[in-house]
Formats: sequence, C-alpha cells, structure tokens
Amino acid sequence: MKRWLERRMMGGLDCVQVLAVLQRYLDAEVDDLTARKVRAHLERCRRCGMEHSVYLEIKHSLSRRSPTVEPEALARLRAVATHVSEHGPQGDSLGG
Amino acid sequence: MEQADPARDERRRAAFAAYVVPELDVLMRVAISLTRHSQDAEDLVQDTLVRAYRALDRFDGAYPRAWLLTIMRNAEINRGRRRRPVLLEDPDTPDRLVQEQPSAGLGNPEELVTGDQFDEVVVACLDDLPPRYRRVVELVDIDGLSYAEAAGLLDIPVGTVMSRLHRARSRIRDRLTAAGLAPRRKA
Repeated sequence: MKRWLERRMMGGLDCVQVLAVLQRYLDAEVDDLTARKVRAHLERCRRCGMEHSVYLEIKHSLSRRSPTVEPEALARLRAVATHVSEHGPQGDSLGG
Repeated sequence: MEQADPARDERRRAAFAAYVVPELDVLMRVAISLTRHSQDAEDLVQDTLVRAYRALDRFDGAYPRAWLLTIMRNAEINRGRRRRPVLLEDPDTPDRLVQEQPSAGLGNPEELVTGDQFDEVVVACLDDLPPRYRRVVELVDIDGLSYAEAAGLLDIPVGTVMSRLHRARSRIRDRLTAAGLAPRRKA
C-alpha cells in the first residue's frame, strides 16, 4: 500500500523502480514515457534527486575529459576522406 | 580490377559524404580512447576510412556510426596483430572490481561538493579502474557513444556494457563519498 501511494505521488514510479533505471535515464537510454516518469519522481523525491545529482555530476566531470581533437588532424582526415571518395582506396598514396 | 563505372563511383562518393564524413570527429575521439596516442589514432581512422570505402556497396545505410565502429574494431584488431591487441583483451570473466568502503571517509556531507577536487577524485578513480571497466566509461561518458555502439565496438553484449558502466560509476561514487565530496549512498 505504501509503495502504491508512493508511486501515485511520485509520477508513477517508486524509489526502487527509479534507482533501477537511473543510470539508463542518465544516459538517455530509456523510452520517453519512462523518462517522463523518472523526471516527475526526481522532482518530488529529495533522496532520489540527490542520487541523480551525484551521478549526473560524475558524468559531467567525465565528459570534461573528452580529448580535444586537433583541428589539423581533423583537416588531414577530411583530406584523406576526400581523396578516398574521389580516387578510391589507393592506400599507398595516402601518405602519413 | 573494377571496370570504370561513373554512376557507381558517384553513388559511392555520395554515400561516403553522407555516412562517413560526418562521423570523422567521433571516430577520432574513439580512436584516441582505443590507442591512447594521437598519431596511432589518426592512422587507425585512416585505415577505417579505406575499409569503409571498400565495404560501402554492402552497407544498407542504417546506423552508419555503428557500422563504422565495427569497421574500426576490425581495423584495430588487425593493427593489433602487429603489436598489442587491445580489443581482444576483453574476457568476460568474473570481475574483481572490489567495492571501496565509504565508511573510511573523511566526512559525510549532506550535499554534493563539486569543483576541482571533485574532478581530481573522478579522474584518479577512472585511472585506477581495471581496463575493461575504464574503456566502457571512456566510450560512453567521454566519447558519447550509446550502449549499443560501445557494445558493437567491444563485441560484448549491451548488458555487459551496462553492468560494467554502472559498477565503474558506483566505484567512482564510493571514492567521492570516501573523500567527503558526495553524500553516502541511500539504502
């Protein structure tokens, strides 16, 4: 009864259900309906909201580690792509 | 030797421009994660481009990124035969990712404490993770791949990507709690 009430008050999902999908929600790997229900729960439940905040901040911190692709390297690869698409994979002439 | 066929060549050019060129940036990021060396990464992407062109006639146009990542995987394994085959070192044996004990922590904050120290703990913990856990975190959280794309690249089930990712993040979270930068996990 308690979990039923909790689900009803918290967007249709209780805390156990939210924690089970929280990581996939963070990675945008749940369907739209589930995402809406999780979002509604997180807005009302402080404890689950804190769990979400911790993992979201970890994810943001990791994303700041994204390697910088040097523009020169990208330009070289675009040139290779152009060469390959126009002349075929004449591998030996691609240089390096 | 293929016979000249201007219409086929034009189709290939259009397909290459539509499916391959837009993914160059992602391919380079993933290649850096795989090789940990920018010149090796560039060579790997070049190999991938050549292989993609050769396979273009057999590609149906669905999920070009996943298709390219599979090609990159094969290229990396092939290159690995000449050195250390990184992507072949991924046995699905029981993990030994021991959970840390948050009770050893410095404090028990009620709120998150973010900032430089937070990032330093996250990076230190990432570097300490066993390679197969670290690789999944790098592909999903740093390179921005979906679970399915990471699974295809590593040739492991999507469920394995999820479990490794979740365990790795949980490990990072426990390290943050131990450092007094995140609240204790809820029961």
